[in-house]
Amino acid sequence: MRVVLAEDLYLLRTGLERLLRAHGFDVIESVDNGPALLCALVDQKPDVAVVDVRLPPTFTDEGLKAAIEARRQVPGLPVLVLSQYVEQLYARELLADQAGAVGYLLKDRVFNDDQFTDAIRTVARGGTVMDPEVVGKLMGRRARDAPIARLTQREREVLALMAEGRSNSAIAQRLSVSEKAVGKHSTSIFAKLDLAPSDDDNRRVLAVLTYLNS
Amino acid sequence: MGWLLPFSVGAAACVALVYMIAIARGREPRSLGYGPALVPVTAFWLWSLGVTAPSGQYWRVNVVTPAILGADSQMARFWIGLSVVAVSAVYAARMPRRAGYLAAGGLVFFVLYETLVGVAGHFPPAFQPSWYDWFFVAMTPAAGWPLVLAAAIAGFSLTRRTIVADVRASRAGLTARVHRLAETRAEAVDAAAAELRRLERDLHDGAQARLVALGINLRAVEKLIKTSPDAAETLVAECREASSQALADLRDLVRGIYPPVLADRGLADAVKALALDCPVPVATEIDLPGRPAAPVESAVYFAVAELLSNIAKHAGASCGMLRMYYADGLLRVEVTDDGSGGADPGNGTGLAGIERRLGAFDGILAVNSPAGGPTIVVIEVPCELSWQRISIS
Repeated sequence: MRVVLAEDLYLLRTGLERLLRAHGFDVIESVDNGPALLCALVDQKPDVAVVDVRLPPTFTDEGLKAAIEARRQVPGLPVLVLSQYVEQLYARELLADQAGAVGYLLKDRVFNDDQFTDAIRTVARGGTVMDPEVVGKLMGRRARDAPIARLTQREREVLALMAEGRSNSAIAQRLSVSEKAVGKHSTSIFAKLDLAPSDDDNRRVLAVLTYLNS
Repeated sequence: MGWLLPFSVGAAACVALVYMIAIARGREPRSLGYGPALVPVTAFWLWSLGVTAPSGQYWRVNVVTPAILGADSQMARFWIGLSVVAVSAVYAARMPRRAGYLAAGGLVFFVLYETLVGVAGHFPPAFQPSWYDWFFVAMTPAAGWPLVLAAAIAGFSLTRRTIVADVRASRAGLTARVHRLAETRAEAVDAAAAELRRLERDLHDGAQARLVALGINLRAVEKLIKTSPDAAETLVAECREASSQALADLRDLVRGIYPPVLADRGLADAVKALALDCPVPVATEIDLPGRPAAPVESAVYFAVAELLSNIAKHAGASCGMLRMYYADGLLRVEVTDDGSGGADPGNGTGLAGIERRLGAFDGILAVNSPAGGPTIVVIEVPCELSWQRISIS
């Protein structure tokens, strides 16, 4: 799997490269600033990009902006954004094009390399991976008249885990229910959120988006 | 109309003289307004009326009034004269700072009058003055000098008193301002010092402590790794957990110092992010054409954060509304909720803290929160916006 990596701190960049190579990823280019990232993404069209939010030259959200711009030029380009902190605002911006294939995780999630590489693969496949911290804030939120309010407690739990990028089997394991039950819950969620039948991945993205906008 | 040319020249000379004196005293000519023009105008009016005594000999001097009103309209001239005095008095009362010009005008008139008519301006021997003629008597040189001098002194002293009062008032204003600045500066310094103490404590008890534990555990792992790899593995997992926790501590700390989203995107997006994070749904309406200075952004951000957390914690609200816009040099934020009301800046530290924080920028906080709600909180901070970075949305 071809990966473009953007991280400005040398230690972290080499660390991530090593970690990714150890898990069988092919790091085709590592960059340390926003403009170079945009070039690499548009030219190389990697299978997935792992991007730090804060990059030179502005040291603000350069990485996020480059990722969003690259996805504007190459729709659906899989991007996993890493950051020292997570903001719902940024999560929404990443998801806004509804193309899926985005991830947004805290940097410390890298510590658990199995989960981290799973997340990269999920994003590369077109899935959506939101950090539990983003999802957690949504759980604490009092839903308004949004369609989300129509979901049962269990369905909301399933949707939250879906937003974290977990597969049905992982969700089943986490909630200690059968995978079939999770399948039924997700069908019910899609129905309640008025998501017309289409391929499952796309509906998952749209469901997560509805969830974030609730 | 032979009087027109010398009069115009005289009037122009008077205006020029007033300007020259003012400029010589270091004043901006524009700051004088219409004042200098009053001098020849007043002089002209008084001249045209004052010399209009009932005897023919005065008419020779004053050609203007008879030319307009006819030679015999003494009564009309009397009323006009009186109205000039009345208008002058009202003008002096309403614009005391200009009263000096009137007084100067009166003096100029008398100097002119004395030069032109001299002490010859007395009643003819056979003249029997009627009651209104005394007005003109008052305008003759002999009686007029003390009268005009008294009026001039009154006019000048009125001007002086007004200026002195103005200076006193502005001095009182400055003193109040200095007190306010000293107060807000002390508060800002105290708050900054308290903030640093808090940071030090948080670092010491949080991230630092966790890093120490991490080091100790790693040393233990070093020893265990060969003898009991299983125990070492558990310990390594603990270390990883501890480093995660240290990062979380640092993250919270950074948010409290200068929130990254504020650094990245500026106030408008940072406030949007706050509203998104609020457990109570808060609609936003934000119109900022640029970014305020960083300290103002920071103060307003934390103020809004406090207000939104109040809504979530205390108000029992089901929804909120936040408006932020910039107009006439003021950044204005209005936060409304449909909760139970009863918020009071004098009660509890939250709102008072906001007030103190905004005070350093001459910002204000207004709370309208009747029992039963709704609550409206308004923040206003005078500031300028820079147009260099505009948020994307």
